[in-house]
Parts: sequence; structure tokens; C-alpha cells
Amino acid sequence: MIYSFNDIVVSGFSAVTAAGNGMKAVLELLGSGRDALSPVPDDVPGGAGQRWGKASGFKASDFMPPLKARKMDRCSHFTVGASGLALKDAGIDLKSIDPERIGIALGCGFGGVANSAEFLGGYFKSGAEGLAPVLFPNTVSNAPASNASIEHGLKGPNVTLVQRFCSAESAFVMACRFIAEGRADVMVTGGADDLTPLMIAGFAATGQLRRYAACFGEGSGILVLESAAHAARRNAPVKGRVGTVATIGLLPAGREQEGVERLFSGVERCDLLSLSGTVGGTPLLMQRVEARGIIDTAAILGRSLAMGGTAMATLLAKLQPGQQGVHLAASPEGPYYAIRFTGGAATACIPGEVKGASHHV
Amino acid sequence: MVKKRVVITGLGVFCGAGKNVAQFSDALLNGKSGIGPLDLFDVSAFPSHIGCQVKGYDPLDHFDRITARKLSRADQFGLIAAAEALADSGLSETYSPFDMGISMGGGAAGMFQAERWLKAQLVGENAPPVLLRGVLPDKTATEIARACNLAGYQGTVTTACSSSATAIGWGAELVATGQQRAVLAGGSDTLSLLTFGGFNSLKVVDPEPCSPFSLGRQGISLGEGAAFLVLESEEDAVARGARVYGAVLGYALAGEAYHMTAPEPTGSTAARVMRNAIAAAGIDSGRVGWVNAHGTGTPLNDVVESHAMQLVFGERIPSVPLISTKAMTGHCLGAAGAIEALATVIALNHRIIPQTLNFRGRDPECDLDYCHEGKRSCEADIAMSNSFAFGGNITSLVLGI
Repeated sequence: MIYSFNDIVVSGFSAVTAAGNGMKAVLELLGSGRDALSPVPDDVPGGAGQRWGKASGFKASDFMPPLKARKMDRCSHFTVGASGLALKDAGIDLKSIDPERIGIALGCGFGGVANSAEFLGGYFKSGAEGLAPVLFPNTVSNAPASNASIEHGLKGPNVTLVQRFCSAESAFVMACRFIAEGRADVMVTGGADDLTPLMIAGFAATGQLRRYAACFGEGSGILVLESAAHAARRNAPVKGRVGTVATIGLLPAGREQEGVERLFSGVERCDLLSLSGTVGGTPLLMQRVEARGIIDTAAILGRSLAMGGTAMATLLAKLQPGQQGVHLAASPEGPYYAIRFTGGAATACIPGEVKGASHHV
Repeated sequence: MVKKRVVITGLGVFCGAGKNVAQFSDALLNGKSGIGPLDLFDVSAFPSHIGCQVKGYDPLDHFDRITARKLSRADQFGLIAAAEALADSGLSETYSPFDMGISMGGGAAGMFQAERWLKAQLVGENAPPVLLRGVLPDKTATEIARACNLAGYQGTVTTACSSSATAIGWGAELVATGQQRAVLAGGSDTLSLLTFGGFNSLKVVDPEPCSPFSLGRQGISLGEGAAFLVLESEEDAVARGARVYGAVLGYALAGEAYHMTAPEPTGSTAARVMRNAIAAAGIDSGRVGWVNAHGTGTPLNDVVESHAMQLVFGERIPSVPLISTKAMTGHCLGAAGAIEALATVIALNHRIIPQTLNFRGRDPECDLDYCHEGKRSCEADIAMSNSFAFGGNITSLVLGI
């Protein structure tokens, strides 16, 4: 599947990560040669000797009143925070935009699982009386996107996807398509994940810590996408342009090379390559692309299912005007994504260029 | 871009109301509910002891022992329904694997198994880690893609109770734009203590079989199952001589941005989504013959959905029946939208509007035509299927024959 989204621009991005709040923290860390991973405490089952990327500097109360924060799960906190920062970065005044024309498409890895465990824990300890109703609405993985939609007043298309290590990319392609189809002018998209000691215990039990060399992380990386026409009308600070989005679900035995070629169809040049999920451990993909530079945010922030949001935001922040970037994402048995971006404000549309252009169907 | 007309060339279902399309159609057309006592897990601590469980299910009837152990109940149901749909479509070997994708919706997924691991953790016991394999809903799509050699798009929508309706709309979009030649679209979800305890804790489960839009209704009955539709472009389907059940004409979705659990009382967003779905289908609302409602049977949802219907259809509303199949299937959460889309397609093919079961009396706050008295014949060739979810996620599908 290959969609071309040449009329969609990225007008803002941000992230909440182990490095701190905002993209500046990620970029400083990236340039420092250090990482933000810390030892998993010894009392976490299975965690001995492991490191993780906890967003320990994040405080929900920096982004919302404490009473609201108490009703949300940690993954929602990250999403509300990161999407607020990204909307600010995009210079979007939510009061001056039609709320029905701005939506959210989010990839959410283990969102809801932490709350599910806490909710069920009450039952296993105290029976039906132990079930806390306030926890149940956040056991669904769409809670982060929906909480963000409520907090920011996003009444357009609203969807959450989980698809292994390509959860954020799965959401991204849908967000682009919603704009291309005219279902929205602006889409908030990206990924969110939280990480708890119980998850480490689960990863340890299922061998995932060994398989992915540990270093799981948490946080949320968000992009603000916009039709070029809409961005031009409001003189948006254009940070880059989306190109093609290609994906395949599997590399079937005997047809692996065909799959790789489909994924890279249209990729002629790559100045900067961003890796997400388990691309680094997939030689067929790594051999296919030549890039002058490679960004691997998992190595400094920790790996997660929806890390693609942070990885794409970082790629866009690093791309110079006119440079071609490719974001590659993979899960161990699929799916696989190759997303092309062109960097910088040099790609911005001037109002006259797109005058009269309309994405409304 | 000129969009292709997207048709449905295969159907598959596995749920408490029927373990294949033939059984499900019989239940749908003859008003047979699958709701009854639950024995999947201990429900004695809750006010409600009923639901629409797939009774008499033995995984070894469908999978070998080793495979069955690695698959969650949701994975298994999904694989069974997907296999029926693909076999029904006669699609195998028609297209390159890269031209066939899967778009599905999931919910609690493998939580039924994962709960046993969690409980063991809390009491300091060991439980097999394989119980955690299916805890995320995308596992089902991955298993189906691998088993059926679908190497194209692979995605899992997780918007609670609207998941699989959105997955069908998105799957249709992939076909309409020529991105995929065929998409297996649907959903799978199974009963679990998490959802049963959760909805009971919110006091929205009816101790009696749910009675949508009826006086005295007290809430939902939970269910489980899976349903899939095979979607292809009309030109491809005609070229290969496929049987065509109907078409996905359009869909729309939005977030209410109002409240995590309560519907926005005026129904304005639901109405907007329905209008947008009708517009996406390229038709006038006058062409919609009836609506397969979300219709959970909770006191508030049914009133709000009725309001929304009035906003959409205006003066024509007395002649637009609003039905709910949840009194037959239970509320199958992540799979609900797919099961209801499939029910809508079957009913359209039989030119009937199914009965909304379990009428307890007329509710003055729900004063539309809900087909409580029995199924009826109907010449309409277009119907709409609504799905609402926690978080204010709303999706409407417009389906035709």
C-alpha cells in the first residue's frame, strides 16, 4: 500500500519522554552522546540488571488541574501533555479553529493495560466490592486520545490503533488520509505508551526483555498535520512536508525481497533515516537503504510500541530545509512502514501557490 | 481521485447467537437470542449472571492442542470467522498476498487469559507466560494475516465499542482508493472478567436479557464473538464472478470531546457523524431505509441515539425504523460493529428489518419505531449501522445491496 500525501504539511511536533518535556530535551540529549535510560529498580520482578526510559520528570499537574489528572491514566497524561505542546508549536489557537475540523489519530501501545491491572487487582484482593468504577473507563486504549480530545476540544475524526511496534505509524497514515479525503483540516497524530513495573514483569516472563535487548521506554510523541491549503491560510510555521507512506503487513517466505521493494517504492534519496520498532534487527531493510545519517531514538529514550510518534517528530526536527528523510518502522513479524518527509520551512506553501485548492470532498 | 465502489464478497461470523453465517442468519431472521447464563468465569459476585457467551466451545474442534495453547480466545474466534469469510469469498490465490490486507477492530482481546496470569502474580504463584501472548488486540490481526497470507495492510483499531465499525470503514477506504485489491475487515472480542466486572461496577448491566429502547431497561448484556467481511472493488468482484452480498457505501467517525463515559445529551455529534456517513455514501438521507442502532439498552444511550436520529431524519423519522440486535447477540464490544454490520448486510439481502427483542413496554422518552413487535419486510436497499464507544468515539457505516 503506497499513499502519496504531498499536500499535507507538518506544522508542529513535540514529545514527552525520558529526556524531559518538549523536543528541545530530546534534541539536546541526541547531540550529547548520552542517553536517558536508568536502572530498573531491583524490586521490580525481572528488572534486575535492566534499564528503562521512564518519563520521571513529567508531572501531569504541569498540564492540567490535579482534579482532572486524578481521573486519567498515565498514558492519557502523556498524550494530553504532548499534544498540547505540539498544538502550541504549530501555533494553533483552538478558539479560532472549527473544532469539528480538527481530530486525533493516535497509536497506543500498552495504553489501558496498567489501569486494567489496577482495576482487576481490586477484584482479586477484595471481590466485586474492590472494583473501582473510576478506573474502568481508562482500561480502554482509546482513553488517551479521547482524553486529549476532551481537553483540547478536538471534535473531528477520532481513532486509536494498536499494531505492535508500528502503532503510531498505523495512526499516522489514517490521519493523513482523513486530511486528504477532506474529513479534517488538521490532525493531531503520533503515539503514546506508559511503562509500569508489572509490564517489566510481563516482558521478563515472556522473554521480551532478552528479545529486544530491554530498554523499554514510555512517553508520547505527537505531530500536528495540516492540509497545505489550511496551513497557508493561517500562515502556519511549516516544519516539513509528508511524502509517500508505504506499508506491508508481512514479508512472506520466498517473497521477502518483493516486499522490501514495495516498501521502498518511490524512495530515491535519503539524507536522514529514522528507525523505529525493530528495524535495526531486520537486515533486509537496513541493507536496502543508504542514508547519510541515522537517528535511533530508542537507543536514548527506550523502545515502545508507539515510539514512532517520537521518532518521526525527532526526524522532522533534525531535517534541514529540502532534505529528504525516511522513517522506517518494523515489528518482528510485521507490519513494516516507510514514511517519507521533506524537511524545513523551505517546503512551506506560500498562500498564492495553493489558492483555490480544496481538499473537501 | 475517483473512488471505486466497494462490495462485500465474503461473510464470516462466530458468536453466541450463531457459530457460522447460516446459524447467525437463522437467529437474526427468526428472533432467537443467544443470551443466557454465563459459565466462562465466576459471575456469582455480580448482580447480573447472564450474557451471550459462545456455548459449547472447544478449541480442539478448530485447532490442534499446541496452536490452541498459543492463541487467546479472541484470536481463536477471529481466526474461525476470518476463515469462513475468506472461504465464502472464494478469494484464495486470486490476488498477490501484498494486495490483500486486514483491517480489524479489537477490544479486551486476550484479557480473559491474561487475567489468570495477573491473579497468579498478585498471590505470588507462577502462571504460564503464554497467557500474556494475546493481551493486546493486534495479536489477532497478526495471527490472521500470517495464517491467511495477507501481506498487505495490517491494522487494528482500538476505539472500544466502535472499533470494528471503524475498521470496516477504513478497510473499505483502502479498497476504494485502489490501495488494496481485497481487505478482510471486521473484529473479534471475547468476554472477560475485566469488562464484565467493569460494566457491572458502572451499574449499567441489566440482570435480565437487555431490552433496547424498551421501558424498564436497565442496561447492557455483554457478549462475545467475531465477524469479518471480505471487501473488494466491484470491478474486481465482477471480473472474477464473485458473489456480491452488498456494498460499503460510506462511513464517518468523530469524537464527541465531551465525557469519557457519558454521551453528549443532545446527540448532536452522533447526528453529525450519521449525516457525514450518508454524505460520504453519496446519497440523500431519504434513501436510508432503516438503522441498525448502537442500541445498548442503557437508559441514557437509547434516548440520546433516538434524539440523534430525529436530528438526522427530521419529519421523515416515523418511517425510519431504528432496531438493535444487541438483545440477540449481547454487546460484543470490540466486535460489536462488525457483527452488526454483518447482520445489516444479511437483513438487507433478505429484505427484512429484524425485530428488536425483549420488549417490556413503551418508553415515552424513546418514541420512535423500534420494530419491537416482530420482524417486517422492507424493500429498502440501504441501511445504516451505528457504533458508539467510551471516550465519545462514534462511527456510522452506510451499507447497501
